[in-house]
Amino acid sequence: MADQRWIAAVAAAVTIGGGAFFTVRALPPDPTPVAGFSAPFVFGRFSVPQDNPLTEEAFALGRRLFYDPVLSGSNDRSCATCHIQRLAFTDGLPKAAGLDAEDLDFSSMSLVNLLWGQERFFWDGRALGLEQQALLPIQNPREMAQDLEGLVSELNGSRQYRRMFRQAYGDVSSENIARALATFMRMLISADSKYDRFLRGEAKLSEQEELGRKLFMAHPDTKASLRGGNCIDCHSQFLTSGFRDGLDGFSNNGLDRDADLPAGLMAVTGNPAHKGFFKVPTLRNIAVTAPYMHDGRLRTLEDVMDHYNDGVVVSDTLSPLILEADNAASPPGSFVGLRLTDNEKAAIIAFLRTLTDETFLSDDRFSNPFEGEK
Amino acid sequence: MMLHNELKGALPALLTAALIATAPAHTEAQVREESHGVVLLRGLPTLETAHSIAIVELDPEQANFGELLSEVEQPEMTHPLHHLYYSPAGRLYATGLDPVCSLAEIGLERDATGAPQVTGFDCLDTQGQMVGEDIMWHSSNGKEYMFVTFMGGLGGDDGGTLGVFDPQSNAVVKVIEARPSQVGADQPYIMYPHGISAFQDRMIITSTVHPDLATGVGNALTVIDLNSLEPIQNIVVENEKPLGFPSSPVEVLFARPTMNENIKPAVLVNTMFGFETWKVPYDEASKTFGSPEVLYSGVANNTAVPLEFYGTETELFISHALPGVVKRYDLSKLPELVSTGPDIQAEAGAHHMIFFKSKSGRDLIAIQNNLLNLGNAADNDPTDVDFIAAVNAHTITVHDLATGERLGTVNFREKYNKGVDNLEGLFGSGFVHHH
Ligand code: HEC
Ligand code: HEC
Repeated sequence: MADQRWIAAVAAAVTIGGGAFFTVRALPPDPTPVAGFSAPFVFGRFSVPQDNPLTEEAFALGRRLFYDPVLSGSNDRSCATCHIQRLAFTDGLPKAAGLDAEDLDFSSMSLVNLLWGQERFFWDGRALGLEQQALLPIQNPREMAQDLEGLVSELNGSRQYRRMFRQAYGDVSSENIARALATFMRMLISADSKYDRFLRGEAKLSEQEELGRKLFMAHPDTKASLRGGNCIDCHSQFLTSGFRDGLDGFSNNGLDRDADLPAGLMAVTGNPAHKGFFKVPTLRNIAVTAPYMHDGRLRTLEDVMDHYNDGVVVSDTLSPLILEADNAASPPGSFVGLRLTDNEKAAIIAFLRTLTDETFLSDDRFSNPFEGEK
Repeated sequence: MMLHNELKGALPALLTAALIATAPAHTEAQVREESHGVVLLRGLPTLETAHSIAIVELDPEQANFGELLSEVEQPEMTHPLHHLYYSPAGRLYATGLDPVCSLAEIGLERDATGAPQVTGFDCLDTQGQMVGEDIMWHSSNGKEYMFVTFMGGLGGDDGGTLGVFDPQSNAVVKVIEARPSQVGADQPYIMYPHGISAFQDRMIITSTVHPDLATGVGNALTVIDLNSLEPIQNIVVENEKPLGFPSSPVEVLFARPTMNENIKPAVLVNTMFGFETWKVPYDEASKTFGSPEVLYSGVANNTAVPLEFYGTETELFISHALPGVVKRYDLSKLPELVSTGPDIQAEAGAHHMIFFKSKSGRDLIAIQNNLLNLGNAADNDPTDVDFIAAVNAHTITVHDLATGERLGTVNFREKYNKGVDNLEGLFGSGFVHHH
């Protein structure tokens, strides 16, 4: 032991002589892997970037950054301004409020189970990965309007942040800010809703919820007298978010006619076939994330069901999965919609309500760390 | 015939060694675990290895092809777990040959890097039903249940049960037993049930063979009315007897329009000792079954011991343990068997299979080649039988799905001193395609 300490002392002396930047490397951080990690197996495979494993230190740092207004130019808003835990990290507004007192173009998105599903982020999929995504709202002049160099020096001015960065990664840098925020968001796992407990065999759904679950999972087939809501074609069975492969997690669910169709995914791919495609959002905790859709145009889940039932607007890129799904045997003419009964619509909504995870919405690990400090 | 005697000699040793499986659960899970397989491995007596549940990498393009990513052993069990099935809720179950564990739920977990792990298994209370074979989730009067065939049932020379379980709590809801000696002559019976498949309110189970492989062999299907949960009819499927035994119908597939809209409902069934594939037409309107007919004769085509039915979106695959091939047919042409290409040349014992994509996106099929995992006389293994040895390659072969070209082989006996009894995709891969 004594020998080793001696060697370390010499090494430190040498590095001090050799150049200051070496001193940082001489004490590499040795963060602790997150303890007791657990996620349902059915959510499927996931991968975490090799240079940013899930560690306790990164998570604690990411959580603090997420809630810290220092991340904005005027130090008055944090990520949590628009991503509020009890609203499953949405903000309850149709469109998030911009710094210029005007609305942003989009509704803020729920942050949940981001380890799985589509690996592109934002409604139009413009961010490739959470590390890349995390720095965008900070720099966006209408969201947080902070310049990264300025932020790094502000954080460097805090002894606590210097310590937390050192323990998690090493130095304070914009890359490490992104990594820590990404780690915090990866840990936002919701897996204790009634639906999860049902899947694990720990809870029974009511008759109405069970009917809703079946309809959610079924493709209507009038020949086989099978009724269905077809939701699973886009919102996957367990995660209820869009699919991971390629661009499968984006589609046009019939909100606008061609003349009004926003660019959506086309803004990113340049492909006209992607016009009006948006990211299929998770439906977990959907009962607390109103209003709905990328621009918050639908106020309630009843409005959402009315949309899929008889409010679908046809456009060139409307998903064929929606075009084909109809529960009525009579020829639809130009009508597009599910044609479910009121009872069936109510059942699907009852099922959607089983996706609310109170444990997640009130989990202390995800709450504002500054509140405890005050 | 030689085979006959050899098989008979082996019977006591094969005590609970039941044969084949189908996985009838058809669900829409879309999360792919790519190329990981879950396997049930059998410890080999002379090699002093223990039974286990393991996860294996099966993509030949991966550097760790053939390696076990996780393994949980069961040294306390004389006979291994038998067949794996995912429930529609994504829970993993295994039937078992050891009376101490005829049905189990297996725990799976991921660590913080996303790596999958087997955490263990819970043996479930079957109320005495033994030798679990196949599982299927299906509804009866609008409620979903887990149905399990128990080839040994509650015991007896003509035993066998169909267990009905609550899919949430795993509790037994009903044990359906109808032994020929109990029900009387000409009454619908259940005996040595193994294969299982269903369409609407009709379920078909097969009458295969007594688990000791000596006491008796079946030759019929049993139709279960899912409204009453009672057997209502037996249908004999027997013609040639190449081994001199009853035909021993094993896996069964109720071909139905929900698999492909062009399919006219009919039951397909493989006869293990008759070497045939049969078709029994079904009339949906009158709920009646037509006369069984032989669609495929193994004797005429030089194949034996037909085992499993598996489907992809477009094709149906049938494995034949001898000479170790998988034949492929057009799914949309069912119930007729219209070939879509040359046989996939696997190895002796060709049995269970999964479908997945390689790292580079190539469509692959992995085939587990083992009828029963028993030892080899060359190793002084008391469980050896030539007949069985001839259908036990102890391998998983991986092939290009389009061409059948073999891309890799994992020999479990050489690599791990174990046999490989069953293969299922780790959540997702084989799952979407399984019937
Ligand atoms: C002014 C409100 C606002 C602030 C502040 C804000 N966000 Fe957002 N967030 C949004 C909106 C609006 C969207 C959808 C934007 C879009 O699609 O263009 C969004 C989307 C996201 C997404 C994409 C989720 C998905 O499933 O694709 C992530 C991740 C995210 N925000 C994280 C953050 C982080 C981390 C911060 C702090 C660094 C932050 N947000 C700050 C409003 C905000
Ligand atoms: C063709 C694919 C598709 C199908 C089928 C589909 N959805 Fe969606 N869903 C989407 C897309 C894409 C969005 C986001 C659309 C947008 O905002 O532009 C969405 C949004 C939603 C939202 C709003 C989520 C939010 O956070 O604002 C709800 C709720 C929803 N869907 C429920 C359902 C239900 C219930 C069904 C079945 C009755 C269903 N969906 C069927 C693709 C689909």
